[in-house]
Amino acid sequence: MIKASLRGLLHRKLRLTLAVVAIVLSVGFLAGSIVLGDTLNARFSGLFRTVNENVAVQVQPNDDRGETPPMLTDADLANLKVDGVDKVVGDVSANGVIPFRSDTGKAVTAQATLAMGVGPEGDQLGLVEKRRGEWPVSSGDVAISANTAKLAKVGLNDEIKIFIPRLGETRTYRVSAIVGFAGGRDSLAGETLILFQLDHAQQLFYNKSGVYAGASFSAKEGVSQADLKKRIEAKLPKGFKATTGQEATEEASNAAADQFGVFTIILSAFAGIAAFVGIFLIYNTFNIIVAQRSRELALLRAMGASWGQVIGAVLLEALIVGGVGATLGLAAGIGVGVGAEAWLSNALEIQLPSGGVVVSPWAVLWSYVVGVIVTVIAAFIPAIKASMVPPVAAMREVVRPDKSLLVLSIIGAAFVVPGAALLFWALTGIGALTALVLGGGVLLIFIGVALLSPLLAKPVVRLVGALIGRGQAGKLGVRNALRNPRRTAVTAAALMIGVTLISLAATVAQSFKTSITEILGGDFGVEVMIQAPPTAPPTGEAGFNPQALEKVKQLPGVTDVAAWHITIDSSLEGQPAFLAATDVAVAQKMWKLETISGELRTLGAQELVVDHKMAEAAKWKVGDKLDVGIGRTQKQYTLVGIYKASPTVQGPILGMPAVDDFAGKLAYQGFVSLEDNADVAATVTKVEEIMKDYPGVTVGDMSAYVKQTGQVFDFLVNAITVLLGVALVIALLGIINTLLLSIVERTRELGLVRAIGLSRGGVVRMIGVESVLIAVFGCLLGVALGIGLAAAAVKALIDLEIMTTFALPWVNLVTYVGVALIFGVIAALWPARRAAKLNVLDAIAYE
Amino acid sequence: MSAATLCDMNSPMNAAARAVDVWKVYGSGEAQVIALRGVSLEVERGKYTAIMGPSGSGKSTLMHCLAGLDSVTRGQVAVGDTVVTGLSDSGLTKLRREKVGFVFQQFNLLPTLTAEENILLPLAIAGRKADPDWLKTVIDTVGLGDRLKHRPSELSGGQQQRVACARALVSRPEVIFADEPTGNLDSRSGADILGFLRRSVSEFGQTIVMVTHDANAASYADRVIFLADGRIVDEITAPTAEAVLDKIKSLDVMAGADNDQG
Repeated sequence: MIKASLRGLLHRKLRLTLAVVAIVLSVGFLAGSIVLGDTLNARFSGLFRTVNENVAVQVQPNDDRGETPPMLTDADLANLKVDGVDKVVGDVSANGVIPFRSDTGKAVTAQATLAMGVGPEGDQLGLVEKRRGEWPVSSGDVAISANTAKLAKVGLNDEIKIFIPRLGETRTYRVSAIVGFAGGRDSLAGETLILFQLDHAQQLFYNKSGVYAGASFSAKEGVSQADLKKRIEAKLPKGFKATTGQEATEEASNAAADQFGVFTIILSAFAGIAAFVGIFLIYNTFNIIVAQRSRELALLRAMGASWGQVIGAVLLEALIVGGVGATLGLAAGIGVGVGAEAWLSNALEIQLPSGGVVVSPWAVLWSYVVGVIVTVIAAFIPAIKASMVPPVAAMREVVRPDKSLLVLSIIGAAFVVPGAALLFWALTGIGALTALVLGGGVLLIFIGVALLSPLLAKPVVRLVGALIGRGQAGKLGVRNALRNPRRTAVTAAALMIGVTLISLAATVAQSFKTSITEILGGDFGVEVMIQAPPTAPPTGEAGFNPQALEKVKQLPGVTDVAAWHITIDSSLEGQPAFLAATDVAVAQKMWKLETISGELRTLGAQELVVDHKMAEAAKWKVGDKLDVGIGRTQKQYTLVGIYKASPTVQGPILGMPAVDDFAGKLAYQGFVSLEDNADVAATVTKVEEIMKDYPGVTVGDMSAYVKQTGQVFDFLVNAITVLLGVALVIALLGIINTLLLSIVERTRELGLVRAIGLSRGGVVRMIGVESVLIAVFGCLLGVALGIGLAAAAVKALIDLEIMTTFALPWVNLVTYVGVALIFGVIAALWPARRAAKLNVLDAIAYE
Repeated sequence: MSAATLCDMNSPMNAAARAVDVWKVYGSGEAQVIALRGVSLEVERGKYTAIMGPSGSGKSTLMHCLAGLDSVTRGQVAVGDTVVTGLSDSGLTKLRREKVGFVFQQFNLLPTLTAEENILLPLAIAGRKADPDWLKTVIDTVGLGDRLKHRPSELSGGQQQRVACARALVSRPEVIFADEPTGNLDSRSGADILGFLRRSVSEFGQTIVMVTHDANAASYADRVIFLADGRIVDEITAPTAEAVLDKIKSLDVMAGADNDQG
């Protein structure tokens, strides 16, 4: 029995090839994502090993958040220099210290920006090596890395402009030294590095001399890291912890791995979608093969094979196909992963030595799990069907009438209804499981709609067929697409999935864009907007000094200015909360905020306002005392006003005094109101001039901002479309596969229509029409489902006052249908060629 | 082949189809099989011609070559005034649309189309309209009036073959080629089909070439051609079933004698 099924497999290898290709594509995508993540990780682990090479023990505060983390003093450092310590280096460092280019006057853009304090003897731990010049000994000097020099276009003894985030201003220094890293590298990973004279750095970063954020210790020969850690721990001041160099490397690597992990998870999710689409293709392949083999299977049954043996035989085939696909996919994935990693490292200018190709056991395990499970799941129903072929079918042609679609449709509905319920549950309540519930709901809806789609196939294909099925060949193509609605529907459903997700993304994006235009085009008193670099985290370390707005306020025609600060490292009544701080009186005027209760005025210290939705949900009223946590500080704030939430302004808002507790003091956004007849363009130019010293800060009128936001959404939609490319290609293969198998099945018919006068071109047209109908049907289903899901999502967002309007991206949607049409034509090329080349006589005589 | 024959091939003629010195060789070397060895034949217009012979005699090959379904290795074939030999695919397509009709042993109807749509398919493919009077005549003759809206799967074998015959007739081709049309039918349904083909020749002047191995079927024809070993070995006109059977027996004896010698 096993032998018979293996023999059968070899005979059908061509027919199974596309199934294998589908598995290779989805497994390859998945394995590629994992290998990419692991290999990038290895490269970065190498970075942290290099950085911590000479560090035996590191001392850091337990909690370094907020404005005033605990500091080490010179006395602490001396005290910690226990027996076994070779050298101690106090850590004086800051993020967001950005050099400006000497030629354009614009801020340098780099992967990361490092700034440190350095003593007169330079780096004691030997990571940074001086190449030329002298270590900075005066407050006006800095040493910069060769990479920084290259990016900022400055040389030794040149002047360099540097932005200091804590001061919110730009200062000019002299380059006293050019430095590099061990191994002759200009940078570790494309970052900029600026070394200030130690005492000056302490003043700049901490506003206080003789203090350090932490310290690194090197060990004397023969002292182990663990031993040294124990000795140092015994003397640690309160609020600090010690880690070994090794632990620090691991921690840093793990933190980086978490970031890549998110990236890998996103890619893997798309790989999972591709695998899901592959199920449809493989299901169809096995289904058609089993149908074509029913005589052979019946013969086996007539000779005494049990139904279990027949199921086993089909599943064994699936197992082999899955195994072969997974193996090839894993190999392809390793290639793709390594290639992508090399390309990415190059694109990001990561000048690290490669950590080697990393193929973790997870990559191998997942490849086989997905490859084999997907195939076996897909082959399961065909296997059951195969076992139900009656032995008598071997003796005569058993006519199988069209089965009613009723049962299938009821099962489909049984999936769609709970799927929709999950979806609405996920969209109304936001919780920890939201993503899971949402994903599960969408998955159920997909399966349900796929099961319902045979029911829809007839009317939709007829309708579209009436448009494109011209001529007799076209009409025959329409008939062929309709003759097996299940097959047409399953093939189309594979395409539907990708198109649904793309349409969903495009529709939500379009709704967002339209909402933003509506919101910001509304009757507000804001004409000019100042924006911190959107790529920077909103920690107050990137942005602009709110004092610069004072200069803006002096400009002619300016009536009001408001700076907005935000912090995400914060909580309200113990719940993590995104807090904003601004002059509420100005904001009220600018955004026409409606007072629900209390008053909207310039807030003092420890006062806040919230929107009416929050207040209602938490049953807060004016006068209540609320716990506000910012960084490590916890204070009680008084609720002085409640305003009406709108898509523009919502959430808790604090007064400007609260910014003292924020980690960074820079404003994230600024808004400017002008007199009615003021020249907006001229004002924008003048504000830009004022803001030019703040790296990455952009100034624009509101329409420019709207356009910029729109581009972000367009980019997201494009990125999603590209990531769904593999799923779309598998769907395309699915159409080719179905057509090829159908052609084999209909060989005699093809011979006949040729014998009674259909030309080769006619055959090509006939198959082309069938193909286009399948593709367009799948696309229309996808577009419809995508719009439906988007409508649900947008409604939820409108209820949350995040959006105002549901809008359809007509251009995108029409393009998708057009592309599906082209897809259909492409999918038909090979099958149609094969069909047209059939010898008429052979075809008629084909058994 | 002489210049005179070539000239004949290209001029209008009485024969509905003709083969001149047709050879058909399959394979090469050791595996070479010669299916036809210089067969020349004229199919008379308005007559019912049967081709008979034992298995492997080349009768099906001869018909396929005459109909342009298969190419010849040597020699020439014409249908009406169209030289089939050397026609391009589009030329063959045109020939099939305009000059020939087929009836197959396996019926070969399209399962997606109703009986009526199957009958009209050749005209639809050629983009022509059916002559309603003729269509009615054909449908009445095959006796399918109440079955026209049925799918092939809802028809018996005999009914399906009647649909196939109507399909071949409806475009009034120069020649209808029937390949063992009763091979898959019980004797009663077979007799219906044969009677129907006979009537289409007698009443409508249709030319039919039929391959069969059934002496009774051949007896419906005006003329029976006997093939053996790739050659035409004999023919009889106005045959009876008995005459055909006798002829087959004598040919078998000859074939046996050949084998004894060879």
